[in-house]
Amino acid sequence: MCFKNLPVEFDENGVAHLKEGVADPYSYEVTEVTPIEQDEAKLKKLLERNGHIRQVDFDPVTRVAGALAFHTVVDLESRQVLETDSMATLFRGYEVILKGRDPRDAIFISSRACGVCGGVHSTTSALALEMAFGIQPPPMGTVARNLLLSLEYLYDHPLHLFLLAGPDFSEPAVRETNPEIWEQAQRAPAAGKEVHGYSTIAEIMTAMTPLTGELYVEALHMTRVAREAYVLIGGKYPHPQTVIPGGISATIDLSDMNEIHLRIVKFFDYGQKVVAVYNDIVDFFYEVNPQYREIGRRPANLIETGQWDDPEAYDATFANVDDWARKRWAPPAVIRDGDLATKSMTALNMGVEEFVEHSFYEDWTDGGAGNGSYKFKEDPNGNPLPPNHPWNKETIPKPQGTNWKDKYSWSTSPRWDRTAMETGPYSRLWAAAVSDDYTKTRFIEPTGKSLKLNVPQGALPGKEYEWVVPTESWGAFERNRARAHAILYTALIAYDNLLIGLDMMRKGDTKVSTKYKMPKDFRVGAGFWGAGRGYLTHHLVMDKGVIENYQILTPSTWMASPKDPFGNPGPYEEAVHATPLLENFEKPEDYKGIDILRTIRSFDPCMPCTTHIHTENRVISRDVVTCACGVDEEHEH
Amino acid sequence: MYDTQTCPKGREGGTLEAKQDTVAPKIQRPPHVGKVFGADVPHGIGGLGGATDGPIEEIHVFWLAGMSCDGCSVAVTGATSPSVEELLAGSIPGMPKLYLHHPVLSVDAGASFVEPFAQAVAGELGAPYVVVLEGSIPDDQAFEDEGYFSGLGVGSDWPESMDSPRADDQPLRVTDWIRWMAPGAAACVAIGTCATWGGVPAAAGNITGSMSLMDFLGKDYSSALGVPVVNVPGCSPVGDNFTEVVAAVLMFLQGSGPLPEFDELGRPAWQFGETVHRHCVRAGYYEEGTFAKQEGDQECLVDLGCWGPVVQCNITERGAINHMGGCMVAGGACIGCTMPGFPDKFSPFYKAPPGSFVSGGTTRVYGAAIKRLRRVTMHNRNREAIWDRSGEVPSAFSSESSKPSLGSKLEGFFYSKLQYRGSVNQAERSREQPNPRTRDIYRQADGEGEGEES
Repeated sequence: MCFKNLPVEFDENGVAHLKEGVADPYSYEVTEVTPIEQDEAKLKKLLERNGHIRQVDFDPVTRVAGALAFHTVVDLESRQVLETDSMATLFRGYEVILKGRDPRDAIFISSRACGVCGGVHSTTSALALEMAFGIQPPPMGTVARNLLLSLEYLYDHPLHLFLLAGPDFSEPAVRETNPEIWEQAQRAPAAGKEVHGYSTIAEIMTAMTPLTGELYVEALHMTRVAREAYVLIGGKYPHPQTVIPGGISATIDLSDMNEIHLRIVKFFDYGQKVVAVYNDIVDFFYEVNPQYREIGRRPANLIETGQWDDPEAYDATFANVDDWARKRWAPPAVIRDGDLATKSMTALNMGVEEFVEHSFYEDWTDGGAGNGSYKFKEDPNGNPLPPNHPWNKETIPKPQGTNWKDKYSWSTSPRWDRTAMETGPYSRLWAAAVSDDYTKTRFIEPTGKSLKLNVPQGALPGKEYEWVVPTESWGAFERNRARAHAILYTALIAYDNLLIGLDMMRKGDTKVSTKYKMPKDFRVGAGFWGAGRGYLTHHLVMDKGVIENYQILTPSTWMASPKDPFGNPGPYEEAVHATPLLENFEKPEDYKGIDILRTIRSFDPCMPCTTHIHTENRVISRDVVTCACGVDEEHEH
Repeated sequence: MYDTQTCPKGREGGTLEAKQDTVAPKIQRPPHVGKVFGADVPHGIGGLGGATDGPIEEIHVFWLAGMSCDGCSVAVTGATSPSVEELLAGSIPGMPKLYLHHPVLSVDAGASFVEPFAQAVAGELGAPYVVVLEGSIPDDQAFEDEGYFSGLGVGSDWPESMDSPRADDQPLRVTDWIRWMAPGAAACVAIGTCATWGGVPAAAGNITGSMSLMDFLGKDYSSALGVPVVNVPGCSPVGDNFTEVVAAVLMFLQGSGPLPEFDELGRPAWQFGETVHRHCVRAGYYEEGTFAKQEGDQECLVDLGCWGPVVQCNITERGAINHMGGCMVAGGACIGCTMPGFPDKFSPFYKAPPGSFVSGGTTRVYGAAIKRLRRVTMHNRNREAIWDRSGEVPSAFSSESSKPSLGSKLEGFFYSKLQYRGSVNQAERSREQPNPRTRDIYRQADGEGEGEES
């Protein structure tokens, strides 16, 4: 069954429709949340019982991209997390800026939503424009975009694994937070020595030390190798100059292909090394203490838009989106509790809602009722859409003080079928492992329970790697392990696309762009693509040659989201809540919070593009601010 | 408008604080949260080594992100001349010890990360510091109550010796930090077009009142060393442009480098003094009046919306990363992302700038003539003298009619007269040069034929 919570059913032909006889099908009741600090009785009881209740705040959470803060209440005696609140602390209003503009501006403006993964925004925007304009790129244009996407991931994953998350597993951090584990690491042989060259786990940890560690410095270097290849056809990074509606604006010759080729193959060796390093680190921690499987654990609810279009299949139409999206190298999917809920892009799209009950915005739907009328009751194929869907979104910013009970984040709460979803390279691998009706490279083989990666020989001999779907323990360590495998996975898809591109050049099929005339009538479009850290969509409405509505929904908006109106936490909140505190400390004063930080960072948070969201063209004045504070006071009394 | 010298009084009775004071005992915070490398490791990242014989032994760089996408940070991690790791590890001779407090790279999290920022505000850092801003400045200092557009830390992170501008539990604004750190800084550096000029967050239709660092601090601002705001623009900037400025300023302060020159907008003059068109690999096409008709073509991109001829930038000369790439080098039209007018004065993108109808139109006329004349000269210069003598090009790739035309011969004759006037006529000497005896060795073998294979 695709939807459990939304009022949508499918008939025998698979056509979706709203359940009959429900008056206001999408309306909902808001469940109040009661933060510990504001629940007098509960707090008193807790504090009387033990003196180990502490407020642990990370403002900012560093070594993530952008502005993220995290609030927790922990019991340092039972070593449990009692409460969590995830806060996005930045608002820029990008969609307001896009509103009323020439649609052709969307690619360059929306790219600036995120400087870590700007290139994917450019492409997602181009996909949305192509759908609206009714144009499609020539095959070589799609191949070039696929190459750009791969190279972006190849810079992005090492950056996260060694510059952002890596230092939490480095010698200084492990020595400080779990000295007993450091002791054991010095005696623990490293299974991957053949590949990475380190004899013990401790040697790996030393190599992960910022600035002085080889793995840290090498990762920094490898991010540049990938970006060098990127800028050859992208012009620059993070905001590429060559992604356009209808293809790409790059002059690609044999020199470009040669230089890209030589850089992609470097990631065969490097990917093997990173997998060996992270397999060793993860397995070692599990062996030392099986409870590390519980760090950052949450139900396997994942959403994946898919990416890397088939150059022949992609036609940019919404009518055929279910077909061409299934032909991608990475297929779309929703995984619920570890099982495949849907493989259809339209089902994925119709299940998406954004809520703002705990975000610094006003609800525009009147509790999901949509005031009885909202713009898009159906998508272009006739499938039902909720009032909280991005195509219907109308967010009104309301800057105000932080209040855990009420509003505390600039991120919205996106949900699929009213369930919190996470996304990332692991949803990509997961979706690719459990189905086989999509475009596969000659180097990748799904088995239903795993993904086999046949890595060609580089300086290291060729070898088969297998990423096994971690249904048993879905937590922080598995996220990092999956991301390590995603380097190999991405390099193989990049290589496949390079070979296809070379073949096209051989055939003289080198056209990279399509001429178009911008339509002036009413059009809608959507781009479904993926950032390094997963799900990315742009929803566009245009009329009379200007943008009427532009909505960006990003992976970290999904994952950094605050609680939803049903009282359910966002993925970071949920994962930190489940995290046992395994840090070694004697007195509460010594507590550092490593397990919580490892959990948050395992998601690879990327906040810049999380908080741009707004559509209503309303100027924020002091009146609005004052009004917001009035609301705040009401809660106080 | 704002009092930048003194701290405001703390807000009395923020909603949460008031509640906690009256309702229940406040929950304590462990003091070392976020300090995962331990108390002995210095804050931030870097400071591993450096010269101790210059006037500056150690310097702190505070990297603040306003209305930012982090793209400037990412661009800086791509820099190679010098690289961030070289600057932080102190591996460049003559450079002082450099500590970086950067939200993406620092080891510490939370209050531990913010602590040195507060020391700088209170004047208790004990070393000179530089403030780097990425992203524009939102107008949230104008809010009369709680709320912010860009937050960093909470009110209780403010130095104890001063009144915090925010209640203990409420987010401090990035603008709070800038406002009180700027006067004591050795220099304030704006990186990227958002911080230098305003950029996309300040574009038409924005609701955050975003502006540049210069707009926020104003004309009256100068740093503790008397330096106005230094601006390294670009969206995103070339990483090397920024690290090079850092290195150049430090070398100058250490007495081992020249005074870096900045233009009237605070840009490094040696990086932004030229238009990006002057060093463009496609500029030659412009000169010959040859323009790309469709994206992917190799010619000049002006008709596809390139603003390069009027944009100050060095990406076509320097490349994007490690001297590779660059917008027009790859084939992307310039949209003026280094300029104060970006984005609105350069949009709609992909549309030819109106001025190009005059300039481009002019080159179409004279450029086309020049191109034809050059082709004739090039044809002549593309032939060795020995090929002229023998009347053919010794390559099977060569077309059958490889003999020079009468026109080419005539052109060659008059052109060489002019070329060698007042000097030795090498063309004449070449004509008298005897042919090598082993020339065309396989044809000789075939022609003579006998004895070789039979």
